Amino acid sequence: MQGCFSVVLLGLIAWALWSTGFWLVQRADWSVVSGNLPLFAVGGYPEALRWRPILWLGLLLLLTFFTLAQPLLLRRGMGLNGTILSWSWLLMMPLGLWLLAGGGVLDPVPSRLWGGLVLTLLLTVFSGVIALPLGVLLALGRCSELTTARQLSKIYIDGMRAVPLIAVLFFGQLLLPLFLPVQIEISRVLRAVVAFGLFAAAYVAEDVRGGLQAVPSTQSEAAAALGLGPWQIQRLVILPQALRIAVPALTNQAVGLLQNTSLMAILGLVELLGISQSLLANPTYIGRHLEVYVWVAALYWLLCTAMALMARQFERQDTSQPIAETRS
Amino acid sequence: MTVAVRAESLKKSFNAGNPALDDVSLSVRHGEVLAVMGPSGSGKSTLIRTFNGLESIDSGSLEVIGIPLDSNHDDRQIRRIRRRVGMVFQQFNLFPHLTILQNITLAPIQVKKIPKLQAEDRAHALLDQMGIADQAQKFPAQLSGGQQQRVAIARALAMDPELMLFDEPTSALDPERVKEVLDAMRKLAADGMTMVVVTHELGFAREVADRVLFMDGGRVVELTDAEEFFTQAKEERSQRFLSQMHY
Repeated sequence: MQGCFSVVLLGLIAWALWSTGFWLVQRADWSVVSGNLPLFAVGGYPEALRWRPILWLGLLLLLTFFTLAQPLLLRRGMGLNGTILSWSWLLMMPLGLWLLAGGGVLDPVPSRLWGGLVLTLLLTVFSGVIALPLGVLLALGRCSELTTARQLSKIYIDGMRAVPLIAVLFFGQLLLPLFLPVQIEISRVLRAVVAFGLFAAAYVAEDVRGGLQAVPSTQSEAAAALGLGPWQIQRLVILPQALRIAVPALTNQAVGLLQNTSLMAILGLVELLGISQSLLANPTYIGRHLEVYVWVAALYWLLCTAMALMARQFERQDTSQPIAETRS
Repeated sequence: MTVAVRAESLKKSFNAGNPALDDVSLSVRHGEVLAVMGPSGSGKSTLIRTFNGLESIDSGSLEVIGIPLDSNHDDRQIRRIRRRVGMVFQQFNLFPHLTILQNITLAPIQVKKIPKLQAEDRAHALLDQMGIADQAQKFPAQLSGGQQQRVAIARALAMDPELMLFDEPTSALDPERVKEVLDAMRKLAADGMTMVVVTHELGFAREVADRVLFMDGGRVVELTDAEEFFTQAKEERSQRFLSQMHY
C-alpha cells in the first residue's frame, strides 16, 4: 500500500518537474523579458541617464557579493574589513538617492520617472531607514517608566497594527495631500516611503521590545552600579544586546517590507510589479502574463534570499555568543 | 578614623510583607573589611544594595562616602555615590556584547570621561593584577566563571572606588574556582581597600574581615570583631548558624 503511494507520488512530482521544465525551456517566450531588461531595472527613467541607476544596482550587486563571500575571502586573507563593509552599505543610501534624483553635477530627474527594480529597492531601503529608528524609539517608549511615553507608544503601535497596510498607503497617497496646504507638494514616492516607514515602525517596535525584554534586568543594574546614566545604559548596554536578539525578527520585517512594496503597483507607482503590469498592457505582449510573473517572482525570490543570507551571516559573525556558531 | 558608611535605623519592606531591613544601624570605617553573614533571606543583599541605591530605603538615614541618601531616592546623589563605590555581583553581570577590555573601560570613558588610551592602559594593568592579562580581547562567554568574576572586580576597580561592595561573589562559582576570586579579594584587602562583603565563606571572613555583621530576619543580630565572632559568638542565633555551617 505504502509502496503504491510512493510510486504515485514520485510519478506526480516527476510529471510536475517535467512539465514545468518543458514550459520554461520550450513553450515560454522569454523575449518579453529579455527585450525589456532595462525597463525592469529602471522603469521609465530617461534613457540618456539610465547609467546612473544601473551603476547603483551594479554597486549594490558587487557589495552583496563581497558581503556574502566575506567568510570565504577572509579565509584566503583577501576579505574586506568588516567596518569598511558596513560603511559601504550605509554609503549606498545617500549615493543611490543622489544618483537617482540628481543634484549638484548631475541633472535632476523627477521622482515620477523612477521605476522598476531600482524603485523597489529604494522604497524598501528608505522606509527601513524611517522604520528602524522610529521603531526603536517606540520600543523604548513602550518599556519606559514614564506613563505618558508608554501610553503614547502603545496607542501608536496598537493603532498602526490595527490598520491594513493598503489603507495606510491609500491614506498617504490620497488623503495626506488634502490635509496639507496647497503650496506643499510631496512627491508620490516620498509619500509612499513615509507611509511604509510609519507602518513598519509599529512592527519593528514590537520586535525590538521582544529583544529589550530578553536582556536580563541585572544588566542595567550592573551598568547603573558603575555610574552610567539612564540613556547611557540604554544606548551602550541594553540596546546593542536587544537589537542582536531581534535580528531574526527584523530580517523577517525587512523581507516583508520588500515584498509589500509591490502593493504600490495598485497605487500607480511603477516599481517592479507596476512596470510588469504596464508592460503587459502593451498589445505586443498579449498572453505573456506567465513569463513576466515568473520572472518577477524569481527576482523577488533572489532579493529576499540575498537578504536572508546576509542576515544569517551577520548572526553567525557575532563572536560574543559562541553558541550561535554551532546552532546555525 | 573617617567613616565610609553610616547607617541609622534603616527600614525597608517589599510590598508590605515581612520587613527586609528592620531597624539596621551600623557604620563601616575607612580601610575596614566588613563581612556580612546570615541565612538566606536575612536581608544581607538588600542591605548592601541600599549602599549604592540599587534598593531604596523606606525610612532611616544613610550616608555613604560622605553623601547622604534618604528615602527620597535622589537620582543625582545616587549617581555621585555610584561613581565612587564599586559593586561585584553574584552572577558577574559582565556585558556579553563587549570584549573584556571594553567591559572594563566602558564606565571610565563614559562616566569619568577618561581618554580611551589611558583607560585601556589602566584596564590592562588591572587585568594583570587580577592574573588574566591575556584575556583582554576575548568576550565574557569565552571565560570561566572565576575569570569572569575577576573581570567584574577589575571593572569595578577601574573607577577607582573608595568602597567596594561584594554581593556573594563566590556563590555562583565552581568550588575549584572559588579560591582564585578570594585570592584577588585578599590582595585587595591587603592594599587597604574598604570592603563590604556578603559571603558564606567562613574561612575567608575569618581571615580577611575585620568585623562581622550577622543578620537574621532583616535585623542585626550581632556586629563584632571577626575573630571574636568565630570563636565566641555572643548570640544563640549566631552560634546556631556557625555550627550549621561547619557541618
